[in-house]
Amino acid sequence: MPSAVVARGLTKAYGEQRALDAVDLTVAQGTVHGLLGPNGAGKSTLLRILLGLVRPDSGMVELTGTVGGFVEAPGAWPYLTGRQNLELVAALDDAPAEVEEVLRQVGLLDRADTRVKGWSLGMRQRLGIAAALLRQPDVLVLDEPGNGLDPLGAREIRDLVRDLARGGRTVLLCSHDLAEVDELCQDVTVLVASKVVWNGQMDELKARAGRTFVATSDDARAFELAVGAEPAFGGFTVAAGDLDAYVLDLASRGIAVRRLVGEDVPLEVAFRELAT
Amino acid sequence: MSVLKVELRKLAAQGPILALFAVCVFAPMLVAIVLGLQDGLPKDTLFGRYVKDSGFALPLLVLGFVGLWGFPLLAGMVTGLVFAGEDAHGTWQLMLTRSRSRSQVFSGKVLAASLTVLALLATCAVSSLLSGLALSGDRSLVDLTGSSIGGRRAALVVLTSWATAAVPLLGFVALSCLLSVVSGSAVIGTGGPVVLGLLMQLLALVGSFGVATNAFLTTPFTAWHGLLRDRVYIAPLWQGALVCLVWSIGCLLAARRLLLRRDVT
Repeated sequence: MPSAVVARGLTKAYGEQRALDAVDLTVAQGTVHGLLGPNGAGKSTLLRILLGLVRPDSGMVELTGTVGGFVEAPGAWPYLTGRQNLELVAALDDAPAEVEEVLRQVGLLDRADTRVKGWSLGMRQRLGIAAALLRQPDVLVLDEPGNGLDPLGAREIRDLVRDLARGGRTVLLCSHDLAEVDELCQDVTVLVASKVVWNGQMDELKARAGRTFVATSDDARAFELAVGAEPAFGGFTVAAGDLDAYVLDLASRGIAVRRLVGEDVPLEVAFRELAT
Repeated sequence: MSVLKVELRKLAAQGPILALFAVCVFAPMLVAIVLGLQDGLPKDTLFGRYVKDSGFALPLLVLGFVGLWGFPLLAGMVTGLVFAGEDAHGTWQLMLTRSRSRSQVFSGKVLAASLTVLALLATCAVSSLLSGLALSGDRSLVDLTGSSIGGRRAALVVLTSWATAAVPLLGFVALSCLLSVVSGSAVIGTGGPVVLGLLMQLLALVGSFGVATNAFLTTPFTAWHGLLRDRVYIAPLWQGALVCLVWSIGCLLAARRLLLRRDVT
């Protein structure tokens, strides 16, 4: 699959504080790609670089097509209505989408003609997404899009993101809501302490962190040979990451493997393993 | 041009800008009403003693007064809203993630701020002239050398005097632009030019700076005095234009460079 975003060796420091350290990122076209990491890992800096808001100290970024989106809280001119905000933003773009259409997409049509000054965080969030969509970007960068939204609103935004990806857009989604990332993203990049610690498919990440049930011809010996094994009914479990070496070791010692069953783990477990 | 239109629409929707236009319209009227009601005259101010003799004296009195602090405040408020307003509302990323380059955004913003302060200047000038004429009619004006200037020529001299204020006013727009971009603060963007303007005038009053005061951005605000003489003296106007040009170019180049390189965090 062709890449929509390719970043290589991105490094950025603010004074003494290093925000990104030789970060690589590849995002496949037409996918929803998750960006995870604890606070201060460098996610926002990476997104700002992709949006052209921050200049990296070194490294390169290649984007296929236009990029749009927002990082952290999307800004808006509070003295204007939602519709006026979008009309002005549209005037700054070469081929903007219809204001009416994006208002409908984000569910703001009925409040569009009131001043943004009195809007809730969730409504401002929707306006930020609308402003990003106005540009009809090939790559959409969304930072915590569900922030401040009620569960129903968050569901609407997830459906919208899924529809955009189905329509061929690439979405880079940064979120602390791991259930949201798990549901929407095919691929994921995990940043920890300014470095990429995982970049690949979501399923692989979860499998890496999962455990595997093992039953052998000699469970007592096999259990002793495993690192971090835990007893289980009819056998024992081992960490999925060590599985290949472990099975080969058992074979070399004449122990037959009779069952191997991978256990699915929540993304949270996988993320916790990487982040700590 | 699209950035200019966007900026002008934003300015037109902001309360402080509408308030500034209201002040420029009504403040000269209020001065005329107060002077009309009181017996005494503000004799210690330029043209103050003639405000009831000629309608052309009041606009010059107002011009002399607002040149002290009003114009720097005007430039600071407008330019502060245009630049530091984006920091206050967190809207730089909204502006800078569109199809327009940072350079285009900067130029559009500077142009919008400049056009708005010029519109405010023109509003204040027309309101002052009309207020003066309503107060004392179009009788001849006594100039700084004691000569009398007839109605039509007096009107022309008054309007030209106001027009000369446009040059240092634009210099203050550039200064405020730099302060706003450097600080990202509307308070510094707005108040900075006023404080610096007052400081320059204070230093000029102390008088120990000699010809160096000619390099102050506030000095050209008084260059119009040369128009109100028997023999018109325009050297201060040229000198002032050159000083303002240097200030403007320096401040704008520095501000542009900073904005182009700025990390929007």
